[in-house]
Amino acid sequence: MMLLRCIRSENKKLRHSLIFPACIVIPAIPAVMGTFNYMQNTEILTQQWYSLWTQHTLFYASFFYAPLIALYCSYLWRLEHRNNNWNVFMTAPVSIPCLYFGKLAVIFRVTLITQLWVGILYVLCGKSVGLPGFCPADICFWLLRGTLAAAAIGALQLFLSMVIRSFSMPIGIALIGSVLGMMISNKGLGLYWPYSLMLMGMNSNKTKDALSGNSLPFILSTLVFFLIFYLTAIRILRTRDVHT
Amino acid sequence: MSSSFIRQLRAEHQKGRRRHLLLIPFIFLLFQILWAFWQLNYADQEELGSGYLLLFHHLPMMNTLLLPMMTAVTASRLCDMEIKGDTLKLLYTIQEQTSLYDCKYLTGLSYLAAFTIGQGLLILGLGMSYHFGEPLKWPMLLEHLAVTFSVSAALLAIQQTLSLLSASQILPLAAGLVGCFLGLFSLFFPAPIARLFIWGYYAAFPAAAMDWERDTRIVHYYEVSFPAAGFLLFLAAAIAIYLLCRTITARKEV
Repeated sequence: MMLLRCIRSENKKLRHSLIFPACIVIPAIPAVMGTFNYMQNTEILTQQWYSLWTQHTLFYASFFYAPLIALYCSYLWRLEHRNNNWNVFMTAPVSIPCLYFGKLAVIFRVTLITQLWVGILYVLCGKSVGLPGFCPADICFWLLRGTLAAAAIGALQLFLSMVIRSFSMPIGIALIGSVLGMMISNKGLGLYWPYSLMLMGMNSNKTKDALSGNSLPFILSTLVFFLIFYLTAIRILRTRDVHT
Repeated sequence: MSSSFIRQLRAEHQKGRRRHLLLIPFIFLLFQILWAFWQLNYADQEELGSGYLLLFHHLPMMNTLLLPMMTAVTASRLCDMEIKGDTLKLLYTIQEQTSLYDCKYLTGLSYLAAFTIGQGLLILGLGMSYHFGEPLKWPMLLEHLAVTFSVSAALLAIQQTLSLLSASQILPLAAGLVGCFLGLFSLFFPAPIARLFIWGYYAAFPAAAMDWERDTRIVHYYEVSFPAAGFLLFLAAAIAIYLLCRTITARKEV
């Protein structure tokens, strides 16, 4: 019950914010430009829906998905970092896991909306360039898997935005982490680096499943990273004094 | 430069104390160092033979991906302290709006200069440690650094304006992200379309280009002549952007 109230109050904080316009506009850019790129190279990109997927996710999942989540997280913590809101936050008669999970739940909700929008844009773009039928079921699964990876990144970025009082630094870190993530993933070590999980989950820039149908290590890795950052954040909130 | 302006500039510098602003270019540079080592460790002997050309070809792309965000973060860190503290009202009673803009801009430029110098040293250091076969052509290095600095300076003017005009920093940071996206995509577009996106200009004046043979998978880097006229035109546009952004900020009602 208390958790629901926390989620509701965190939702209220997002009202009239620019989060939702950002969540609509930013994924639209790779969709439009990826489709344009696809149309320019149809003689090489012959696998229709799968080829279009490579162009949509080439940069979105590799570089910009994590910074987008970082943007949401920074905004959510910015409210607490301002004025004396940390005092209000910490003295609320609510348990710390509830307070923190309230924020996490809101991040998941916004990320889910973002991913749904990415899916809708993909289908719309596919139909607008005349691809036959509907998008393959695997791609819906990859989209869902990419959303799951957001659990680890959401927990990590929420943790970073909590400890770093700057709005922008965690977003810069997310971009650098994502570029590193692509390099690490190319070496086959993606499961050990949280920022690689999103591009692996979404099967970015690939037409064949990079996880070869075995998603268990990926799910385990996501869960482990989620727990590490979630528990660390809770521990810090419980033990460290706040700075207002 | 009047003594009053120098005092204001010094005040701006003091505001940055303990805010670890130098950490921003340092982190981005550190990442580029890591990337460069990774790239060169997997390069074959032939590629290392033309190591400088390889760097002059790849670094502009890396800059396109990273520097729009670095300028957004720098501008946001510099301006957010005024937004958070609601100090603009106070400052504008003792300081011209344009003067505050200029002081912040110059402070931001100093961090961009630190990054640019760092990137120059990185290129020199890599040349020495990997023993590139060819000698370094200094004009190429200076052209590369001039492009990196001037494109970042133009972006800084835009980002600083957005950061000063935006109560929450979502808009400027989202603009930085969008800039990274557009810049990166513009690399794959035909030149006339690519020139529409300022974020992609890091790679618009390359000192080196690449030929890749699909069958043999052989990569060949070669020098290209620097488009000086185009770059001068860009500098003129960058100055116009700066003046426009400064005017917009000065006209803002506090």
